Amino acid sequence: MAILSLHEVNKSFGETSIIRNISLEIQEGEKHAIIGPNGAGKSTLFHLISGRYNVSSGTIYFKNHAIHNRAPYEIARLGLARSFQVTNIFPRMNVFENIRCALLWNSGYRYSFWHLLGREAELNDRAYEVLQEIGLSDKALFPAAELAYAQQRALELGIAIAGGAEMILLDEPVAGMSHSEAESAVELIHKVTEGKTLVMVEHDMNIVFDVADRISVLVYGELIASDTPENIRKNPRVQEAYLGEVAADA
Amino acid sequence: MLTRLIPWIGFTAALLILPLLFDSILAISVLNQMAIAIVFALAYNMLLGQGGMLSFGHAVYFGLGGFMAVHALIMIEYETVYFSVTLIPLVGGLFGLLAAIFIGSFSTRKAGTVFAMISLGIGELIAASSLIFVDFFGGEAGVSGDRTFGPLFFGVDFAQNVEVYYLAAFWVLVATLFMYLFTQTPAGRMANAVRDNPERAEFIGYSARRVRFISFCASGLFAGIAGGLFAMNYEFLTEENLNAATSGRVLLMAYIGGLGYFIGPIVGAVVLTLMNSLLSNYTELWMLYLGIMFVLTVMFLPRGFAGFIMMHQMAWYHGKLRSLFIPYLITGLPALIAVLGVVALIELAHTQEELLHFLGIPLSPSSAISWVVVITVTAVAVNATRRSLGQLKKAWEFANEAAMGTRE
Amino acid sequence: MLEVFIFATLNGLVTGLLLFMLASGLTLIFSMMGVLNFAHASFYMLGAYFAYSISSYLGFWTGLLVAPVVAGFCGALVERYGLRHVHKHGHVAELVFTFGLAFLIEEIVQFLWGRDTKNYQQPELLDFPLFTLFGQEFSAYRGFMIFISVAIFIGLYYTLTRSRIGIIIQAAITHPHTVANLGHNVPLIFMGVFGVGSALAGVAGVIAGPVLTTFPGMAIVLGSIVFVIVVIGGLGSLAGAFVASLLIGLLQSYAIASDVGMPDLLDLIGVSFERSHPLNDLWTLTLPQIAPILPFLLLVLVLIFRPTGLLGKREE
Repeated sequence: MAILSLHEVNKSFGETSIIRNISLEIQEGEKHAIIGPNGAGKSTLFHLISGRYNVSSGTIYFKNHAIHNRAPYEIARLGLARSFQVTNIFPRMNVFENIRCALLWNSGYRYSFWHLLGREAELNDRAYEVLQEIGLSDKALFPAAELAYAQQRALELGIAIAGGAEMILLDEPVAGMSHSEAESAVELIHKVTEGKTLVMVEHDMNIVFDVADRISVLVYGELIASDTPENIRKNPRVQEAYLGEVAADA
Repeated sequence: MLTRLIPWIGFTAALLILPLLFDSILAISVLNQMAIAIVFALAYNMLLGQGGMLSFGHAVYFGLGGFMAVHALIMIEYETVYFSVTLIPLVGGLFGLLAAIFIGSFSTRKAGTVFAMISLGIGELIAASSLIFVDFFGGEAGVSGDRTFGPLFFGVDFAQNVEVYYLAAFWVLVATLFMYLFTQTPAGRMANAVRDNPERAEFIGYSARRVRFISFCASGLFAGIAGGLFAMNYEFLTEENLNAATSGRVLLMAYIGGLGYFIGPIVGAVVLTLMNSLLSNYTELWMLYLGIMFVLTVMFLPRGFAGFIMMHQMAWYHGKLRSLFIPYLITGLPALIAVLGVVALIELAHTQEELLHFLGIPLSPSSAISWVVVITVTAVAVNATRRSLGQLKKAWEFANEAAMGTRE
Repeated sequence: MLEVFIFATLNGLVTGLLLFMLASGLTLIFSMMGVLNFAHASFYMLGAYFAYSISSYLGFWTGLLVAPVVAGFCGALVERYGLRHVHKHGHVAELVFTFGLAFLIEEIVQFLWGRDTKNYQQPELLDFPLFTLFGQEFSAYRGFMIFISVAIFIGLYYTLTRSRIGIIIQAAITHPHTVANLGHNVPLIFMGVFGVGSALAGVAGVIAGPVLTTFPGMAIVLGSIVFVIVVIGGLGSLAGAFVASLLIGLLQSYAIASDVGMPDLLDLIGVSFERSHPLNDLWTLTLPQIAPILPFLLLVLVLIFRPTGLLGKREE
C-alpha cells in the first residue's frame, strides 16, 4: 500500500522551476533513499512533502489524506515527521525537554495549561526511553546548544522519531560526521525506523546501498529513475548523471 | 520536594515580614508599588522571556484592566453591584484577558518585528483613543474611585495603605504561583519551544500561532491583575497608565532583571521601583541614570541582574564561591568610587545651587577645587578599576574550573 | 473649499517629504543591518538641537551645514561602539538597545539643554510669503523645506544608483559576505551608512525644528509615525517608504483640515443618538479628532491584511 504518493508535483520560485513534474509512490514500510547532485532539489522536495512550501501544481497524498499546501503542524499530526539538514533543535531547552516536547502532541496534551508536566510519570518515562534509544540519557539536563555536533544530530533524529510517526523523512542525517560517528548514526537509524517508512536524502553511496530498499534519483528537479539499488547501479542515465565516478570506486 | 518549596516559603515569609520591618507610610507605599510592578513585569516576561515576543504596547492590558477595576469600584460604591473589593484585581485580570483575546486574535500571527510593530501600533492607538472616549477613560482627568465601599472583609475596609499591602501581597503570591506553574505546563513549555524554534515546533505538531495566542492571553490576564492592584492602591487611573512610557518601563524592568530567568523580572521590578521612589528624592537626574544603567545593562549584562547572579552557579557548585570575595572587593571598591565620581560630576554640571551636598561632602560648581578634586578622584578610581580587572579575571577562571575532565 | 484643499495638500506634502527624509534613513539602516533603529528619531532631535545652538551664534545657514554632520558623527559612534557590540547578543537585544538609546538621548538632551521648548528661529532670509492664494499665505520657508527635501532625494538617488560607492552599498545590503570577500571594508560601510542615515535624520531636524517646535518630546512624536511609515511601506523598501510617507502626510493633513465626522455619516443614513447614549463619544467623533491616530489605525489594518506592507518583499 502506498503510504505517500506524489502526482505531477511542480514547484517554481518566480521564474525558476525547481521541481519538475515529479510523480513518485512510496510503499508502507519501505526504506527509500533519494539521491542526486547538489542543487537537484532534494531538500525542496522534502519541504514540499512536510508542508514548509506549497506546491505550484500537483498533489501529494499521505495515507490517503491530501497534504499538499497544508500547514506543517497538520501534516505532523497525521504521522509524518522529518529531520533537517541543518540542525534544527530547541537550543535553549535541555535535551530532555527537547524530546519531551516532541512527545506532547501525540500523547494527547494539546494546548493544556492545566497539566503539570513534572507529574506526568508516563510521559517522562517515555521521554527517558527515547533518550536511551538515541544514546543521550547521560546528557539529559544539558542545554541542547552545548552538545557536540554528532550528539545534536542524534537529538535531531530523536525529536523526529519521538512522536511515533509512521513515516520519517531524514535530510542528510550523517552530514558532517566522521566515519565512526556516521556508522553509529546509521545503526541508530536502522534501529529507530524498524517497522516504519523511511525516506532519506543522502550523498554517501555506501550508506544508501546499505539502508535502502529503493532509490530515486533527482537531477535538476526531475526524477530520472526510481528503482531497486541494483537496477539503479546499472541504469545508464543515472551513471551518466551522477553515479559515474562512484561506480568506478565502488 | 521540600527543597523546591523553599523559595516559595521564603517568598511568602518576605512578603509577610517586610511591612513589619519597614512600616512607615512611605515604605508601605513603596512596597505596594513593588507588588504591582512585580506582577506586571512577570506577566510581561511570559511574552518576552518565555514566548520570545517583544511587545512595545503591553501597558494596554495593564491599563484596561485598571480602568475596568476603577469602574467596578465605582459600581460597588453606587451599589450597582455588590461584592468584596478583594476581588477587584480579578476584575482587572478578566478584562485584560478579554482585551488580549480580542487583540491577540489578529496580532499573534507572526512573532518578531511584525509583532513588535503591531503591539506598538495598538498601544498608541488605544492610548490615543483614551483621550477620545471620555466616558470610559475620563479624558485628561482620568477616572477615580473609592475602595472603602462594599462588604467588609473580616472587618477590614481597606482605608489604610497597609491593609491594601496585605491584599496586594496575597495577589502577588497567587499570581506569581500561577505564572510559575504555567511554565511547567504543556502550553508553557511549547511557548519556550516556539520561542527557540517556531518552525521545528510546527513540525512536532503544534501551531506556533496558537501557542503564541495562549501565552498572549495569559500574559494579558496577569497584566490586568496588576492593573487591578494599581486601581486598588491609587484608586485612580489615567491615560498615562496605557501609554508607551508605561510599556517601556515594564520592558526595562524585565530586561534589567533578566529575561531568561523566572525571578529576573522580580529583581528588575524591585530595583526599578527602588530607583524610582528613593533615588528621585535625591536628584532630579535619576531618569538619566536609569537610562545610562539600562543601556549599559543591554551592552554588558545582556542576561540582566538575575543572569549575573546565575553566572556564579558554576563557582557555587565547585564550592569556590568564597574565593571570589576578595577579588570582587578589589575591583568593586574602585569601581564604586568611579561611579560615584561620575555621578558627582554630572550633578555638579547640572546644579543651579551654589552648594551641592554629595554624600555629605560639600561641593560647589563655581569652585575650581571641587571640580579638580572630583575629576582626579574619578580618574584615579577608573584607572584602579581597569588595573584590577586582570586579577578578577584570573580569580574567575580559577573559581569556574572543575576537574577539567568531567564536563563533556 | 478649494483653498483648504490646496493648502492642505501643500502642508501634507511638506510633512510627507519630511517624514520620508526620516523614513529613508531608517529603511536603509534596516535593510543593511536588519534592525529597526528606535533611536533614529533621536538623531532628528539632535539635529534640531545642534542647529539651534549653532544658529544662536553663527546663524541658521551654518547650523544647516554643520548640525547634520555632528548628528551623523554621533550616529557613526553609536554604530561602532554600541550597536556592533550588541549585535552578537541577538535581534531582540539590538531592538532593546536602540529603544534604551532613544530613552537615554532624550534624557541627555534634557540634561544639556533643559526641558523647555527652544526658540529656534527660521532664517530671516526666508521670512516672507512665497505666494498668496485666496487670501492665505504660503511661507517661503515651507517652500524651502520642500526644495531641500527634493534636492536631497535626488542626490541620494544618484549616489545610490550611479556612483561606485552607491553600488557597493546596494550590494552590501543584500550580500554583505560577498562584498567583504571582494575586499571591501564592510564594517566601515555599515558605520558609514548608519552615519549618513543619522545625518539625514539630522537634516530633517534642522529644517523642521523651527516649524514643528524644538522640545525634548519631539523625537517620540515623530518617531512612532516614522516607524508606522516604514512598516506600512514594507520593511526594506525605499519606494514603499516614499509612498507611505506621502500617504500619511497627506491623509493627516486632509483629516485635520476637514470638517466631517460621525455626525455627518449618521445624518446620511438618517440615524441619531441621544447624548446620554453610552457610546456617545463614538457618535460624536470627528475626523480632526482622530487625525493623530490615523497612522496607527492604518498600521494595524495593513499588518492584518498585508503583513509584508504595501511594497514589501513577499515571504514564503
